[in-house]
Amino acid sequence: MRRHWGRNALTTMIVSGLILAGCSNDGSSKTENNPSSESAIKAEGFPIVDQPLKLKMFTRIAPVNGPFKDMPVFQDYEKLSNIQVEFTEAPTDGFAEKKNLLFASNELPDALYRSGLSQLETIRYGSAGQLIPLEELIEQYAPNLAILMEQYPEIRSAITTPEGHIYAIPGIVTTGSARTDKRWINKAWLEKLNLEEPKTTEELYQVLLAFRDGDPNGNGKADEVPMTARIGLPIVQFMSGSFGLDLQLGYNINIEDDKVHIWSGDERYKELLMYLNKLYKEKLLDQEIFSHTEAQYLAKQGSGNTGLFFDQTNNNFLPIADQYEGTAPPAGPHGDQMQSPAAPVPRDYGAFAITSVNENPEATMRWIDYFYSDEGSTLLRFGREGEHYELKDGMPYYKEDFLTVTGAQGRMTPYAGGGAPHLISDKVASFINPPQVQEAYAKLEPYMPKIRYAAPMFDEETAQKVNILRNDIDKYIDEQSTKFIVGALSFDKWDAFLATLKKMNIDELEKIYQEAYDKMEK
Amino acid sequence: MKSAQEGAAALSHIQPKRGSSLLRNIAKRYDLYLMLLLPIAWYLIFHYGPLYGLQIAFKNFNPAKGIIGSPWEGFGHFERFFNSYYFWRLLWNTVSINLFSLLIAFPVPIMLALLVNEIRSKTFSKWLQNITYIPHFISVVVIVGILNVFLSPTGPINMLIETFGGTSIRFLEVAGWFKTIFISSNIWQNMGWQSIIYIAALSGVNPQLYEAAKMDGASRLRRIWHVSLPGIAPVIVILLILDIGHFMNVGFEKILLMQNNLNLESSDVISTFVYTTGILKGEYSYTAAIGLFNSVINLILLLMVNRFARKTSETSLW
Repeated sequence: MRRHWGRNALTTMIVSGLILAGCSNDGSSKTENNPSSESAIKAEGFPIVDQPLKLKMFTRIAPVNGPFKDMPVFQDYEKLSNIQVEFTEAPTDGFAEKKNLLFASNELPDALYRSGLSQLETIRYGSAGQLIPLEELIEQYAPNLAILMEQYPEIRSAITTPEGHIYAIPGIVTTGSARTDKRWINKAWLEKLNLEEPKTTEELYQVLLAFRDGDPNGNGKADEVPMTARIGLPIVQFMSGSFGLDLQLGYNINIEDDKVHIWSGDERYKELLMYLNKLYKEKLLDQEIFSHTEAQYLAKQGSGNTGLFFDQTNNNFLPIADQYEGTAPPAGPHGDQMQSPAAPVPRDYGAFAITSVNENPEATMRWIDYFYSDEGSTLLRFGREGEHYELKDGMPYYKEDFLTVTGAQGRMTPYAGGGAPHLISDKVASFINPPQVQEAYAKLEPYMPKIRYAAPMFDEETAQKVNILRNDIDKYIDEQSTKFIVGALSFDKWDAFLATLKKMNIDELEKIYQEAYDKMEK
Repeated sequence: MKSAQEGAAALSHIQPKRGSSLLRNIAKRYDLYLMLLLPIAWYLIFHYGPLYGLQIAFKNFNPAKGIIGSPWEGFGHFERFFNSYYFWRLLWNTVSINLFSLLIAFPVPIMLALLVNEIRSKTFSKWLQNITYIPHFISVVVIVGILNVFLSPTGPINMLIETFGGTSIRFLEVAGWFKTIFISSNIWQNMGWQSIIYIAALSGVNPQLYEAAKMDGASRLRRIWHVSLPGIAPVIVILLILDIGHFMNVGFEKILLMQNNLNLESSDVISTFVYTTGILKGEYSYTAAIGLFNSVINLILLLMVNRFARKTSETSLW
């Protein structure tokens, strides 16, 4: 009996060992099953490949989306291209974590879709060889993207590393209106209280006061939210233009006479924080601004009980859209008037990248390039003609009955939820750019920055240095700014704030950005 | 029981005679050693195996090159951490949260156990035990949700404060409140569960001791002080040492869930910092170094407390 037990244990160990070995063999042979089908790729036209091809992609799935494989958009494109994409979906919460673990464990998909890679990530993984350089592939297999890059030279400079490589493709926005959030003010309340649209920050303060005390919703209770915004510090960006603070190079930067200046320690920034502190203290700024979730914020938009808020479109408050209109940024105490939070043309940096395990990079590039054409972009955003949209004067519009089904859009296309790699041009923007939004944008346009520099690409060593500096500095600025606004930190501590920023070597950071800018301008 | 004692006696009888012939011993009792294989394998794979990955703390880890292929960095990551603006804050928060937990939360289950032990009514003491240990089974996420609701500006606690004429406090957004809330909710959640082991130990105390003390005219408090407490002292010391063993690993999930920009000043601890910089920003080497630093402090503390316990109370882990 005893002996049997021992023998059995031994056999079990050996057998399980063999099984394990078998498994790992399986794993490695899986990729080899896909013989390189280079010869079968067509240079143009559809299908892209004659033999059906499978690609694995890692993607982010937003709360509004359904599973990607059920999206009519991808189903149709699969038939058209003969490429079947198998998506691994990670929800927005925890997406960064999954993405990083993917690279750290070196278990890579063929491509990353809607991946939101940062510049540092692309440089790090690109130079490590996990992402492949795309510049030649774009030249040969991505005619649509290549044309866009010619039309808008800023795209190339925004995505090319100092070594001349492109490791990731951005989403491209040629519609000016899609590059910034509008300022929506409650027209109905203004009329009811007999107020003018505020032109300066001081007038804005008075208007918000009236919103708070004048009971504009007429229910006899002081439950109005005079002003709200997305969670946390985006409110700083929305108001910074009124205090002469720009957001160049993807950071808190002003550029004047070719001089890069990080303004986080400026007197102007202090003024802005003091202004926001005043609003917060007097309950003119949403008291939940540092704790509410995105969903709660969107619900506040739809409630009609807010006086002023910021959003790119009117989708979230369509049923009460008449109540609101766009307004221009208010002029600040020094007369500054600017719409600072404006994205560059290459908007969603790192939206798509191809990894080194991909055996069919050419086909993959052709696959993604389609979405940078008007036709492909229409497919991505609007789905099937007749079923989801119809053409009016050559422009696609969602059908009424499609729009009435709640959440249908998010299940049909990955563009809902943001960050999808594709082209957003005037032609395909009817949904996010309806007349009301165009009017709102028209009010902002005079105050949009003339040039919007995207975040620069550093070489690996510099990127690492920037990363180390900004890790500490950004965390510190965010934390202290939040405290200044809610009044947890008094402005007596401003000098200590400046001293700490100095100690954190903010000057060195400024120098690095200056060098990057000089290179860009050359 | 008896056979085990005999076995042990037989073993001690054999060992000195055969000297160091471990192999012969293994051959003789191979079935026992075979049973040991599984736990050893478990330790090797899950506890010693990962030690190999620790070297990335001294390297610039590059996933494409693997752990071995990545270039050496030496102590650069450690220096960066020590020079970081957040170093002292992280260290202080980690140490202080643990220290306060230890000082305040550690004695509570002992007191609860003594209380349960003293209660005459069996039904009442069972009821008390049930009431106190059930919160242990609520998940951390739910607990933090409960805290959010109760402590929000419109929550019951603030309503109570306002009815008594106070002004409402944004408990979760004030750095000064963080540790109090964190530790007291921990106590509420865990005291019942942790008291179980003390209650078990108390039931092992010889009833004759109580009788004798009573005869000598000891009061109830005296009996607790001179009989109950010494009776469970070894358990207390062992549990204290075990607690010290993970001194620096404070409840990571709970802190992360309770954290926001406004209480960061007192809620930012090493483990949450490692998570936010390491996993979310992909700085594996840097945070491996921080994690290693954390573990080293842990080890030093454990060794110190163990030595102290051995010297003063003759009870220790080894």
